[in-house]
Amino acid sequence: MRRSLVLTGTAVTVLGLLAGCSAGGSGSDSGRTTLKVAALEGGYGRDMYTQVIKAYEASHPDIDVQLQISKSIEDEITPNMKAGRYPDVVVLGQGRKAALTETLVKDKALEDLTPVLKERIPGEDTTVGDKLTEGIVGNLNTNPYGTDQTYLMPMYYAPTGLFYNKGLFEEKGWKVPGTWDEMFALGDTAKKQGIPLFTYPTAGYLDSYFFALLADVGGERFYTDVMTYKKDVWKTANARKALDITTELLGHAAPATVGYANEQDFTKNQQLVLDDKALFMPNGTWIVGEMAEAPRADGFQWGLTPLPAVTTGGKRYITTSVESVWVPTAAQNKDAAKEFIAYLYSDEAAKIFAKSNAIQPVEGIAGSLSAENVEFYKVYEDPSVAALVGGFASTAPVEGVDIKATLFDTANSIISGDTTEDRWRAALNEASEKLRQAGG
Amino acid sequence: MTTLSTPPPGSTNRTSASSDASDVFEASKQAPSAASSRRGVARVPVRRRGDTRFVLACLLPALVLFAVFMAVPTVNVFRMSLYTWSGFSPDMRFVGLDNFRRLFDDDQFVRAFQNTVALLVVVTVVTMGMGLFLAAIMTRQRLRGRNLYRFVLYIPNVLSVVVIAATFSAVYDQENGLLNGALRLLSLDGLQQVWLGNQKVVLYSVAIAMLWQSLGYYMVLYMASMSSVPEELYEASALDGASAARQFFAITLPLIWQSLSTTLTFFIMSAVNLSFVLVRAMTGGGPDGSSEVLLSYMYKQAYTNSSYGYGMAIGVVIFAFSFLVSLLVSRATRREPLQF
Repeated sequence: MRRSLVLTGTAVTVLGLLAGCSAGGSGSDSGRTTLKVAALEGGYGRDMYTQVIKAYEASHPDIDVQLQISKSIEDEITPNMKAGRYPDVVVLGQGRKAALTETLVKDKALEDLTPVLKERIPGEDTTVGDKLTEGIVGNLNTNPYGTDQTYLMPMYYAPTGLFYNKGLFEEKGWKVPGTWDEMFALGDTAKKQGIPLFTYPTAGYLDSYFFALLADVGGERFYTDVMTYKKDVWKTANARKALDITTELLGHAAPATVGYANEQDFTKNQQLVLDDKALFMPNGTWIVGEMAEAPRADGFQWGLTPLPAVTTGGKRYITTSVESVWVPTAAQNKDAAKEFIAYLYSDEAAKIFAKSNAIQPVEGIAGSLSAENVEFYKVYEDPSVAALVGGFASTAPVEGVDIKATLFDTANSIISGDTTEDRWRAALNEASEKLRQAGG
Repeated sequence: MTTLSTPPPGSTNRTSASSDASDVFEASKQAPSAASSRRGVARVPVRRRGDTRFVLACLLPALVLFAVFMAVPTVNVFRMSLYTWSGFSPDMRFVGLDNFRRLFDDDQFVRAFQNTVALLVVVTVVTMGMGLFLAAIMTRQRLRGRNLYRFVLYIPNVLSVVVIAATFSAVYDQENGLLNGALRLLSLDGLQQVWLGNQKVVLYSVAIAMLWQSLGYYMVLYMASMSSVPEELYEASALDGASAARQFFAITLPLIWQSLSTTLTFFIMSAVNLSFVLVRAMTGGGPDGSSEVLLSYMYKQAYTNSSYGYGMAIGVVIFAFSFLVSLLVSRATRREPLQF
């Protein structure tokens, strides 16, 4: 009697454990399709997603959209993905620490979304491709293998560049520098008044700086060469020029920068700009919301400028950060997913997104910008300024080689004098070469 | 369980023997009469088998959990270290020991290894030394308010790592931090440092946070074992004219040696983990990789760099390393246990 009780108890325990591990059943019963959408809860918040989904479900009664949203969405969907349960649509950009998007790109595990560009937006007459701003697809960010196939659809875009205190410039009568010579001259002037020229939150924020600088120095051709690891590209004169400018700029960095350039303290570097203790920092438009509560100097006003031109009148690029939406190859409802993505570019959805300051790269979005954003997105109107999208091309993973870390993090060592520009260049060349071999 | 009212010795009236093992044992011991002992002998093996099953059934859930969550993943780490795999794709490529070969050419790995070893040595020696010293003072010197000290020193141990990281970010702040502020106040401006920004100092800044976190715990452990050392030994040695230091080395240390050597092994293993969580929260391995430790580098490679197999190879190195160090330490500190 007792033994059978024990056995029953054991069985119940084991079953309980197993059941706990295998929770979550299949969806699509009763003819309705369940579309699983996973999204990163970024600076724009989560309300806009629930609203867009509500609007979509209203016009598509046969589809039931399940939203999973979190600030660390990778940690939540990865275990299920490894177990074979993939979300159908994922809104998640590149450059995150967990690098889920990058990993799937390297694995070639993303669905080809080129057909979506030709698809008509539900309830409208235009196709997705026509509605998207020109030049926003077809770069390494959306076509990661450098082909004509689009795997990542651009979701929101935001200019990144050098942020500064407009009020301080007006008060001192300084002009925002248009060339690097003017920039360094301003650096000397400001230094006499005890204000360092430059700081960065963490070295990782230098991505927006470097991509634009490389294009400024050698044009888009050179930029693409660097991003696709062309042989010996870091030995060229252009590369040397870019690193020369950077090294000189880092020589003007606020002395506190490196000590605060970690995840715990990076806001203290951002605070330097608010307190007029540093003039410029590379950042994105989210900075306004991020530092909204922080104390600031009198008359402080955010300003955004592209990097100064290398030569007078030279073309200036502005690195544009683009969040992506994509579909895993292993997703169950790929067709429904593609239709949903097409809907995300409808006027109806774009308006909801824009209300949360998430600006989509679609025609006619300018009308729904907030006053603050109008100021920032104005940088694109300057005819000498061009948007630059992309990042390093994807290769098969190379063990121990992370070229972004080599390019950005070394800035800390340059400021503190622990390494030299030549050693930096050599390390970049080595990393680039290893990735080139892996990519070929 | 039936109760056994102690029967008079030699009693033969043992028919109500219960199904409990201890009863049987008692019965066979206390009732030497032929009848009852035959009963007992006859029933013992049957009951033993039933007990074994019961014990196994009780152990099963724990064993299953252990196998699923400990044994299988550990074996998997070893297996995965022989593959090239991004972490998702179905195509895993067997590369043998290539991942390990590559490790030796990887400067960042070598640096992370050096940092880990440096942290282990420095933090272990200082924590153990200070822990012993403080415990000895608190137990032997009848310090006033020692309960308060013990409380204060123990608190860091229950704090979460994020809180510790935030605390030390305030202590190490280069401009208005506690440390640099105190140095300025003492007119020792020359000693001020960018504690988390100077590549030569940052590792020690992390080491101090680790020390602060774990000191109280080990101190309390040592206090517990020291308080069980009999007072007479100290009295006798005091009569012989032994100083407090002599007492510590000749009495206290040898008598608590057993717990010292155990805690040492524990500490080495936990320090490997603690260094990871603290580095991740405080510096993220920076500036420029100068405070990277093995586990944080493993994380970066396995996830951020999508080289899961390579990360697992680092995991194997960590496993072997901490296993080896623990083994060496427990061998080196092995002594004949002293009785008191």
